[in-house]
Amino acid sequence: MSGIDLDYISKFVSELVKKGFDDVAIKVEKRNSVMTKMANSSVSVVQSWNSISIDLYLAKSKRIFVLHFEPKSLEDLQKPIDIMLSLADRVAESPIYAPLPEPSKTRHVEEVIDKRVMEAAENMHSLVERVVEVAHRERIDSVAGMLQAGLIETVLATSKGAMLEERKTFVQGYLRAFAHPDGSGQWCYTSTTLDINNIEFMASTASQYAVESKNRGEVEPGVYDVILSPMVFANLLEYVISMTSAMSVIMGWSMFLRNRPGDTVASPLLTVLDEPKNRGLPNFAGFDDEGVETYNKPIIEEGVLKTFLHNTKTAKHMGTTTTANAGWLTPMPWNIVVKPGSATLGDLVSEVRRGLLITNNWYTRLQNYVEGVFSTVARDAIFYIENGRIARPVTRIRVADRFGNVLKNIAMIGKELYNIQWWEVRVPTKAPYILVKNVNISKHAI
Amino acid sequence: MLHYALKVASELGASYAEARYHKVDSMDFYSRNGAIISAYSEVSEGIGIRVLVGGGLGFASTNVLNRESIAEVVKLAVSRAKAHAKLLKSPIEFSEAKLGRVKYFVEPVKSFDSMSLEEKVKLHQEFWNRVSGSVREAVIPVATLWYSEWVEEKLIVNTEGVHIHSIIPRLSASYNIVLHHPQKGYVQRLEFFGASGGLEWLEKWRLIEEGEEEARTLERVLIEGVEPPKDSVPVIVGSEIVALIVHESCGHPSEADRILGREAAQAGKSFIKPNMLGQRIGNEYATVIDDPTVPRSYGFYLYDDEGVAARARYLYKEGVINEFLHNRATAKVFGIESNAAARSMNYASEPIVRMANTYLKPGDYRFEELLEDVKLGVYMKSYMEWNIDDERWSQRYVGLESYLIENGELTKPVRNPVLEITTKAFYSNIDAVGKELRFYAGTCGKGEPSQGVPVWFGGPDVRLKSVRLGVVI
Repeated sequence: MSGIDLDYISKFVSELVKKGFDDVAIKVEKRNSVMTKMANSSVSVVQSWNSISIDLYLAKSKRIFVLHFEPKSLEDLQKPIDIMLSLADRVAESPIYAPLPEPSKTRHVEEVIDKRVMEAAENMHSLVERVVEVAHRERIDSVAGMLQAGLIETVLATSKGAMLEERKTFVQGYLRAFAHPDGSGQWCYTSTTLDINNIEFMASTASQYAVESKNRGEVEPGVYDVILSPMVFANLLEYVISMTSAMSVIMGWSMFLRNRPGDTVASPLLTVLDEPKNRGLPNFAGFDDEGVETYNKPIIEEGVLKTFLHNTKTAKHMGTTTTANAGWLTPMPWNIVVKPGSATLGDLVSEVRRGLLITNNWYTRLQNYVEGVFSTVARDAIFYIENGRIARPVTRIRVADRFGNVLKNIAMIGKELYNIQWWEVRVPTKAPYILVKNVNISKHAI
Repeated sequence: MLHYALKVASELGASYAEARYHKVDSMDFYSRNGAIISAYSEVSEGIGIRVLVGGGLGFASTNVLNRESIAEVVKLAVSRAKAHAKLLKSPIEFSEAKLGRVKYFVEPVKSFDSMSLEEKVKLHQEFWNRVSGSVREAVIPVATLWYSEWVEEKLIVNTEGVHIHSIIPRLSASYNIVLHHPQKGYVQRLEFFGASGGLEWLEKWRLIEEGEEEARTLERVLIEGVEPPKDSVPVIVGSEIVALIVHESCGHPSEADRILGREAAQAGKSFIKPNMLGQRIGNEYATVIDDPTVPRSYGFYLYDDEGVAARARYLYKEGVINEFLHNRATAKVFGIESNAAARSMNYASEPIVRMANTYLKPGDYRFEELLEDVKLGVYMKSYMEWNIDDERWSQRYVGLESYLIENGELTKPVRNPVLEITTKAFYSNIDAVGKELRFYAGTCGKGEPSQGVPVWFGGPDVRLKSVRLGVVI
């Protein structure tokens, strides 16, 4: 594969229809990117990718086939496609089949290109040098992290006549700073455009939290009022919002299995939107994988579940209409955005009598998706708060509660939103600091 | 093409170059309540190239397999490694190693086409019929089954003469069963199976019977489950959980790249520091081995992705930190030879330090013997929720199928007991080890971009002297 040839792709779709498939969609993605990985304030590896992937959706007689290829050439696709064709009469109809929709626009080109991102990709070493230097302005020992920049070009063609193109740049990064003897802090940044100030803010925030969290103490398990940083809130929201995907509900992977749109599921302070049209976030998308034009929408509005995320198949299964979140099988959020509140971080802290500020987390796992029973490990800077003031850094605790409780106990929402995407947050998210009352905190018994 | 990549890299000044052709070819079926939702096929095929230039490490990959494209990505790997070299605190170098020139293949006992498509589809229907029919008072709103046949082929060459060609077929399956009782709520079980080989594994896994038995057992847990004792009691940790514990609290912290800080911003550091070889972490029962050469295992390989001959690694030995998992770069830092832990997920992934098949050495107790001295205790057989901190010290496992032990016998089911314990406390509290070693399959995640590689983790049942269990709120 050497490039995206629109005429060739269109012809390829026509040939698959002639072969006997009722529905055909093809998504070709060309990705050029570079990532520098840092550790011990040095460079551990520079990785470069030039790849072309092809995703195919095929349906015949209501049987569904999805294929993913990173092939040498389009000819390599023929054998797996022929195998799929031979399967069509031998498996039962898919219970979620629906015909591909008519595209919103048959020809459309969307572009978010920042040439500075491409220049940064070519001179990544300069950006890395700057980030490490900014981080070391604080009295830290070392930093680790990653910076990545690149260009993604996508073409979507369907047997309903869609021929849609999209090009966008992206820049992402995160940094974790370490300060002797036990301090650490982590922050991240993501965007479609290059903003040096925000990248430097990422570095300085990680370092500040590292310095402030030195000489950590213990804290007893129990129930606390907890301030979650945007890093933590984005991680938890990723789990919650992925469970609003109708496919998660259908397959038994959702705490919303018993809910319907209109149900109250969170504090009235909480509004969470899916924003594919947000041009500043890397999952900006003009159309979904079925060729339907995307639109911004509230998923949870003032605490009320407004909609599940749908493609045409899940929508038909649940008797509603698509929300333009395809995924041919699984609808997914594009970019998650929390509606800001009015509080500063200082306001949140001053509200807490006995509580914690958790700035980062990882390893969120669920005992039971349907009941939303989960725990997550707090990591990096964690602070015990007493009588409205940060009292001391603490360590080695986890949040162990139910997502439903956390959502309903949100008591205050910060006014500043931060662009979050890193190893533990895959969907680009704009999130604030939040205060949650009565959160269960656990730790090891021995 | 691979040798052409090496030639271009050498001409551009690379002191070391490695090229890997890597193909992953899979066919999956995914069903809900017996009906196939979709068939899924994936073929990824391309070349990954690594170079050392001026002490810097560069990686680049492409699936555009012509000379022009390969030369282009080699140039990217070399030029970018060179540009970053001035930021290095110390040069990256590779250790000596036992490098290979071999071909090896895993031959399935029963090939993937030894069973008709109709029979494979019928497996899904039969699974749903039997599982949904196995409960009496509870209902099963959803049960899903995923089935995957896949083949991984690699050809690795480097400028030091490595030439390794391998083909490994694997079979994987998983099910998700949700049980509901109007008064008692929900329980959920995800079970995963995987091994190298072919369809012979279906006979061993008995997916239908296993799902049916689990649903019946979980119904009992849901309806009859009681809270665990509030005081400290002996806990028998079932082999499924022991297997996960050794993966998380021995395998991961023994990865030398993590110990040296290379994964610090992602999966974290390690409580094990470079100078801790020989220090005590547990008692004499704590022997944990990672062995890529276990035949038919999910994490099987004979040579790693740097072309180094694989062998068993004794990570903890009789309670002492004994050996780390190394690739050639970390081994060089420690002044030793690599022990062949470099693995990559696909052509677009750099080889990094990984586990293969990690297990606790079995002892000599029968299960009944583990039980017989316990007046009041808990047996935790399976789990759903778990996590561990990024230094691999404080960890949590929530039991799913669990039982009270009273006077040496299993009595009532226990619902959601929580074992929250430090690594040293776990390995120091073992007072008896079962004789039956069982392996479980998983996909281990690490690296940036994150790479999932197949692993087994294993162990026997073990008894902990005394632990205070928590409970899910």
